[in-house]
Amino acid sequence: MALSFRTASSKIWQTLSSIKTGVILIILVVIFSAAGTVILQRPMTDPDDMQRAYSPRMLHIFDAVGLTDVFHARWFVALLVLVSLSIIAASLQRFPNSWRYFARPYKSPDENFRRVLPTRAQITVADEETGLVAAERAFREMGWKSERIVQPESFSLFSERHRISEMAVYIVHASLLLIFLGGIVDALYGWRGFLMIPQGEQSSEVALRAGVTRALPFAVRCEAAGEETYSDGSPKRWWSKLAVVDGGQEVQRKEISVNDPMVYHGLRFYQSSYGSTGKVDQLTLIARPTADAGDPREISLAPDQTVALDSDTTVHLAEFIPDFVVGDGRVYARSNDVVNPAARLVVASQKTPANQASLDFWLPEIPGVGQNALSPYTFEAKDLKMQHFTGLQVSHEPGQWSVWAGVILMGIGLTLVFYVVHMRFWVVPVYDGRGNVVLWIGGTANRNRDAFEQKFQKLVEEIKEQLKAERRTSTRETAAVTFAGK
Amino acid sequence: MARARVEEQPATGTTLIVMVGLGIAFLLFMAFLNVVKSGNLLNESNLLYAALIFYSGAGALYLGFGVTGTESYVKFASLATWAGLLANTGAVAHRWYQAGHPPFASIYEMLLSFVWTLAALTLIAEKRYGVKVIGTVTMPVTIVGVVLMQLLRSDVRPLVPALQSTWLHVHVTLAMLAYAACALSFALAMMFLIQDKMKTETFLAATSLFTVGIYASILTRFEKWGGLNVIAWNADEKSEVFISKGVRLFVTIPDLGWLMVVVLAAVAAPLVLYLAGRVQKNEDFLNIANRAVFIGILLQSLALVFFLLRARDGQYASLDAEGLYPTSLAASPFILSGLIGGIFASLLYLLLLWRRDDLERLLPDANALDRITYKTICIAFPLLTLMIAAGAYWANRTWGSYWSWDPKETWAAITWLIYAGYLHMRITRGMRGRVAAYFAVLGFVVVMFTFFGVTYLLPGLHSYA
Repeated sequence: MALSFRTASSKIWQTLSSIKTGVILIILVVIFSAAGTVILQRPMTDPDDMQRAYSPRMLHIFDAVGLTDVFHARWFVALLVLVSLSIIAASLQRFPNSWRYFARPYKSPDENFRRVLPTRAQITVADEETGLVAAERAFREMGWKSERIVQPESFSLFSERHRISEMAVYIVHASLLLIFLGGIVDALYGWRGFLMIPQGEQSSEVALRAGVTRALPFAVRCEAAGEETYSDGSPKRWWSKLAVVDGGQEVQRKEISVNDPMVYHGLRFYQSSYGSTGKVDQLTLIARPTADAGDPREISLAPDQTVALDSDTTVHLAEFIPDFVVGDGRVYARSNDVVNPAARLVVASQKTPANQASLDFWLPEIPGVGQNALSPYTFEAKDLKMQHFTGLQVSHEPGQWSVWAGVILMGIGLTLVFYVVHMRFWVVPVYDGRGNVVLWIGGTANRNRDAFEQKFQKLVEEIKEQLKAERRTSTRETAAVTFAGK
Repeated sequence: MARARVEEQPATGTTLIVMVGLGIAFLLFMAFLNVVKSGNLLNESNLLYAALIFYSGAGALYLGFGVTGTESYVKFASLATWAGLLANTGAVAHRWYQAGHPPFASIYEMLLSFVWTLAALTLIAEKRYGVKVIGTVTMPVTIVGVVLMQLLRSDVRPLVPALQSTWLHVHVTLAMLAYAACALSFALAMMFLIQDKMKTETFLAATSLFTVGIYASILTRFEKWGGLNVIAWNADEKSEVFISKGVRLFVTIPDLGWLMVVVLAAVAAPLVLYLAGRVQKNEDFLNIANRAVFIGILLQSLALVFFLLRARDGQYASLDAEGLYPTSLAASPFILSGLIGGIFASLLYLLLLWRRDDLERLLPDANALDRITYKTICIAFPLLTLMIAAGAYWANRTWGSYWSWDPKETWAAITWLIYAGYLHMRITRGMRGRVAAYFAVLGFVVVMFTFFGVTYLLPGLHSYA
C-alpha cells in the first residue's frame, strides 16, 4: 500500500516536472485564452449584445462551460495553478544538479574529461612552471582572473566568469511564480470599483458592480474638478482636487489627473471620468420689477437658496431640470444632460393676490404651467453654472508589489539567461607520450558557443604570445649570463 | 550549373539596375514636379512617398538578386534601402516634431515606426550576418506597410488623456523593436527552410494553404447573391461609419463575392493536387499544381484589380440601413493587404521553384541560419517581456489595473508563451532545424495577429492602436 502510494506520487511528480507536460499546459492556456478573446466575455459586454450575438442554446452552453467568462472561470484558474505547479516541480527537479554545479565548481579536470572536451588545445612548453606563468599572464592580459589549483601531485590553472548564469533559469521561473502569486492574491483579496463625487461633496460609497457597493472606512471629498480641452474640443486633461477625510479630519490632499493617481491606505484613486451631475451650482438672474419701472437687479441663486428682492418680496430657487419635457400639464426631466434646462422659482410677496402667499415662476415660461404673469418681478437667466462630478476608479491590489518585484526579477533573470555566459577555462600541464611537457588548455561555455570558440582561440594565441615573450627574455638572460661568465 | 546560367546573362544584370534606377528617378521627378507645384518640399507625405519609391526599388533589386544571383544587385539594393531608410527617418522626425510626441499614438504612426525598424534590421542582418537575400522577404513587408499607411488616417490627432504617458512610449518602442525582431526571425526561418532542402512541394502546399486562408477570411464577408461586404467610409471625417457604438456599417459590393469564390477555388487547387499527388504517388499532379499556381496568380491579380476599381470609391447599398453609402480602400485595409500578401506569397513560391539552386548558393549554410534565427529570438523575447511589463505598468497607472485580460493583452501573452515554448524546446530538448523554424514562423504569424488582427477583429481597450 505504502509502496504503491509512493510509486503513484513519484509518477505524478515525474509527469508534473517533465517539459512535455509544461508545453502541453502552455498550449492549453494558449487555446483557452484565445477562446476568451474571440467569444464575447460577460464582464465586458452588455447583456443585450450577448443575446444578439449568440443563440439562446449556444449562450446557455457557453455559460455552463464558463466560456463567457474564461478568465475568471474556476477551471482556468486551476489551469494556471497547474502551470505554476509544473514550473515549481520542473525547477525543483533540476535545481539540485545545477546547484551542485554552481556551488562546487569543477576546478581540476581529470584525464577522461580532458579527452572528451570538445574545445581544447595543446601547446608544448619548456617546463610546467613556464607554461603556467605564461598562461597566468595571458589570463591577466585578457582581463580575467585565474586561480592556481594545487593538488598533491600537480598544479593547474582554473578561470571562470559569470557562474551566476547557471542560476538564471531559476531566477526567471521564480520571477514568474512571484507574478502569479501577486495575481492570485489580487484575485482573492483585491477589488475594483467606481466612486462618483459631486464637486464640493464627499463620499465613501464605492460602486463595485451593478447594485453592489462597498463602504470605505474614510471619505473622499472633491474640492474641485475640471476638464481642459484641445481647440477641436476633444479632451486634453481631466483633473480633480481631492482630500481624504478620515475620522472627521482631513489627512491628505492631492490634485490627481489621468495617469497620476492618489494613494491612501493601499487604495488607489484614478481620475476616470468627469461630467455634469445635472444639478445646478449657481444660477445668475436679472430681476425686473413689473409694476413700476424700477432698476433691474442681478441676483445669484444656489439650489434652495432664498434671496430678498425688496422689503416685501423674496425669490427662491426651488427646482432645476436640466432637460425638460412637458406632458399633461406637468414638467418632467428627460436626462441629466444640460440640453433644455428649466428652473422653477418660487416668488413670495405681499403684493401678490391675497389668496396665495407665493407663486411659481418658470424659466423659460411654459404655457399652462406656473403663474409667470402674476409675478411682481420678471426674471431673465444670465448665467448658469452646473455642478460637476468627478468619477474615480478605485482599486485595491495588495498583490501588485509581488507582481512588480517579479517583473524586475524577470528582467534580471532574462538578461542573465540570454546575455551572460558562464565560461570556464582550465590550463593543465601534462606529459605527452614522448616525455615532453604539454600545456593542455580547455574551455566550456553554457551558451553562445561560436562566440566562445573565438574567445578561446584568442586565449590560446595570447598564451603562445606570452610564451614567446618569456622565451625571449630568458634567452636574453642566458645570453647575459654567458657574457658575464666570459 | 547555376553559376553558368548567371554568367550567361551579364547584360540582364545591368539592365535591371538601369531599369530600377530610371524608374526611381522618373517617379522622384514626377513627385518633384508635384511638390514644386504645391511648394512644400520636405513634408511627411513626400518623405514617405520617397521612402516608398526607394523601398520598391530595393525590393525589385533584392528580388532580382534572388532570381539571378548577380552580386552587384545587392549593393544597389542596399543603397536603395539606405535611401529609403533615410527618407523614412525624415518622415518619422517630421511626424515627431509636428505631433510633439514620438510617433506611436495611432496605428498609422506605429506602422511608420515598424517599417523604419524593419528596414534598419534588414540592413543589419545583411551587413552583420551576411544574409543577403533577406530583403526579398522584408522589403515587400515594408512596401505593404507604407501602402497601408497611405490609406490609414494620418492626421495628427491630439493625445487623449490616457495616452499622455512616458510609459506609453516605452511600451510602444519596445513593441516595435520586438515585432521587427520577430519579423526578422520569420524571414530567417524561411531562408533556413529553403537551405534545409525542404521540398519545394511542401512550400507549394504552405503557400496554397496561406492563400486559401486569406480568401477564406475575406469570404467571411460574403453576402447572399454573390456580394462582398465592406465597411462604409465617411470621406469627410476619414473614418468608418458606425451604426451605434462599436458597430460598423457594412455595404455590399455586388458580384465581388463570386469572384472571390472563384479565386479561392483557384488557389485551393494546388493544395488539392498536391494532396492527390501524395495519395496517388504520382509526380504529374505536381506539374499540374505548378501550372495551377500560375492561374492562381492571374486570378488573384484580377481580384485585386477588381477590388481596387470597385472599392476605391463608389456608392453601395447596405443591408442594415437604407440608402447608398460610400466606401473606400481605407475602409478595408485587411482585404487589401491580404490580396497583396497572397500575390507576394505565390510569386515567392515561383521564385523558389525556378531559382532554388541560386538561392541555396547565395544563403549562409543551414546551421548558421538556424543559429541566427535563434539569436534573433533571443533578442525578441526579452523585448516582448519588457514590452508587456511596461504596458502593464502603464495600464496600472491609467486604469488602476495591471492586467485586465483585454484581447490585446491576452494575445501579447499568447505570443510570449509561444516564444517561451520555443526557447524551452530549444534549450532543454535540443530542438533544432526544421521544427524550430516552423515554431519561429508560427510565432510571427501570431505576432501579426496581435498587431493587426486584434485591433480590427477583436474589441477591447486598445481601440486607438
